[in-house]
Amino acid sequence: MASLLSAMYLATGAMATDQGALEVTGNNVANVNTPGYSREVPTLQENTPVVVGNLTYGTGVSLETVQSIREPILQIRIQQETGQQGQLNASVTAMNQAQTLFASGSNDIGTQISNLFSSIAQLSTDPSNLSLRQGVLTAASNLASTFNNTATVLNSQRANLDLNVRQSVQQVNTLTQQIAGLNGQITALQNVGRDGSQFVDRRDNLINQLSGLIDVSEIKSDTGITLTTSNGTALVTGTRSYALSTQADSSGVQHVIDAQGKDITTQINSGALAGLIQARDQAIPGLLNQLDTLTSGLSAAFNSANASGFDLNGDAGGNIFAAPPTGGTGAAAHMRLAITDPALIAASSDGSAGSNGNLASLSSIQNQTVIAGETPTDYYANMVFNVGNDVSNSTAELQSSQLVLQQLQDQRGSISGVSLDEEAANMTQYQRAYDAAAQVVVAVNQMLETVINMGSVAVSS
Amino acid sequence: MSSVRVNPYILPDLLLDLNNTQQQADTASLQMATGSRIDKPSDDPAGAGQMVLNKSETSRADTFLRSATGISGLLQTADSTLSSVVTALQRAISLGVEGANGTLSDTDRADVANELSGIQQQLLSLGNTDYQGEFIFSGTATVQPFVADASDPSGVTYNGNNGSNNVQVGENYSLQINLPGSQVFTSPSADVFQSIADLISAIKSNTNVGTAVSEVSQAYNYVTGQRVFYGNALNQLQSQQNYLSSEKVDLATAGNSISATDMAAAATTFSQSQIALNAELASISRISQTSLFDYLK
Repeated sequence: MASLLSAMYLATGAMATDQGALEVTGNNVANVNTPGYSREVPTLQENTPVVVGNLTYGTGVSLETVQSIREPILQIRIQQETGQQGQLNASVTAMNQAQTLFASGSNDIGTQISNLFSSIAQLSTDPSNLSLRQGVLTAASNLASTFNNTATVLNSQRANLDLNVRQSVQQVNTLTQQIAGLNGQITALQNVGRDGSQFVDRRDNLINQLSGLIDVSEIKSDTGITLTTSNGTALVTGTRSYALSTQADSSGVQHVIDAQGKDITTQINSGALAGLIQARDQAIPGLLNQLDTLTSGLSAAFNSANASGFDLNGDAGGNIFAAPPTGGTGAAAHMRLAITDPALIAASSDGSAGSNGNLASLSSIQNQTVIAGETPTDYYANMVFNVGNDVSNSTAELQSSQLVLQQLQDQRGSISGVSLDEEAANMTQYQRAYDAAAQVVVAVNQMLETVINMGSVAVSS
Repeated sequence: MSSVRVNPYILPDLLLDLNNTQQQADTASLQMATGSRIDKPSDDPAGAGQMVLNKSETSRADTFLRSATGISGLLQTADSTLSSVVTALQRAISLGVEGANGTLSDTDRADVANELSGIQQQLLSLGNTDYQGEFIFSGTATVQPFVADASDPSGVTYNGNNGSNNVQVGENYSLQINLPGSQVFTSPSADVFQSIADLISAIKSNTNVGTAVSEVSQAYNYVTGQRVFYGNALNQLQSQQNYLSSEKVDLATAGNSISATDMAAAATTFSQSQIALNAELASISRISQTSLFDYLK
């Protein structure tokens, strides 16, 4: 049969269990604002009963485990979306800066092209007028410096992106190192039968940050987690992390190199690094390339039109713009005037100073398809459309990715988030249970006192 | 637990909404302040591309208008110069008719010849008229076109050339802006200076005056005909200026419909987002305050 003392043990055991459960609640409340924290739930279990004859006595309750509530599949979806968002965010930020160079204003390339043609038209009304000739040179020089500035800004933006790539690679290395460390701690705890939840939350959080930088695939194994990029470059295996490095190529652009020395620059498919590299190696060079095409085409057309006429001195016209570099690369950055003397503009078609016949050939460049099969203005208009369209599309993608991520976070929150209402309810529940168990102890205590007093009554009588 | 658990973390969602609403308000207020709904190409890529073309076309229309204004001064000067030439020739004809009258004494004829010499000088100076420092009858040369030359039978040599200039005043529309002096004054069929020189010597020698007068009449008719060129050019220019002005209005209208802010819509968006912003702020301040803990005593 059950004894008073076993009833006392049962009640104090219940108190300990309730206290433990209350601690779990306390920990949940304490971590209500901790990023990546998964709420914990105490698992209470009825103790093995004692069978005496026909009777089965319960032996109370104990705190079996404290379990973190998390959804691993959801976690992976969040990582993927974080990677997507990191990539879009990096490229939208970069291209947003770049597109301001093509915003409509009083100094944009389109306006400068118009100004040049306008100055030529003005000169045609009085072709020997030196100040009108100077006007043409000034407009041409303004156009050249607008091209120079645009190319310079784009190039320095590339240099900034390059620096960002190096910084991101360092961040990746710091994160993989930390993750490998946590892998070791979690494995050690799991080997002694603990789940190491706090470390798992921290690791999930770090993997999430890592996904924002580079594409990550996760494989669970006995020795913890193995992380690779989607192309199989190892980042973390168990307690080992593999550092990426950067190396400048001949043109000074930083390439990303894995621990085996393989260049993985073009194989990074998501995360900020992918966005940075895409902007640095494709989007911005694409813009520079189009600027070079436009500059080379304009320079060549003006030079050849000028060469078909005669200058103010009656000599055959020469180059107006310095000949663009062969292949055109760097043409926009280095566009400059070849002449400083306004008399050298070949306005005349018959060699006499007052003729404006050749200005018509210079003016007509405006309507000629001299830039990759398009007129200069059409080509520039398409450039503006394309750069705007790219930014607008990736901004829309970024916004929808944000919504998806927000929904996933909501979902994660509904599973793993700490609800203060719930915790308050649990707290009262465990508190009440604790109070009740304590009352049992008091009652048993009184009964024991009665038993003890029975003895003293017998002795005194 | 059987009931669906809701996400206890509402703040991040609310903050994201707040951010979006704020952005909406900012965009609307920028659109109202600048009057343009295309601040950067991504605001409307197709519109931004169209605006490049619209601006270029507007600039061309402006340029054509400016060219038209510039050359209309030149054409007017040439026209009024030729008007003076015609008047001078008319006077020469009446002097010639007077000189042909056999009743004139030698002295009277000398006076007539003197006056004709004056007209000769006047014609020379009219032939050398300039517009803003450029001779208007020298063809495409920049030299003084007519120089007195006693060795030449007409008394004048032409130093200009036979070239002429065209100025573009519209798409595929160029206007010739000058006639060379060799065509207006010293055409082989009707040479103004030759006819006056011939008249002077006819009056002086009192021979063949009638022939000389008809020679001057021929020059008079010829120059009158040449003057029509400038009149026509001025007319064409005027109608082209009207056309360009209305084209500019059309382009501005098109430009507005592409890029101008719809003020009413922007103002509505702005005030709506302000209301939304206030509501969101109020809900954030309330929601994050309460939990069951507040009710447990």
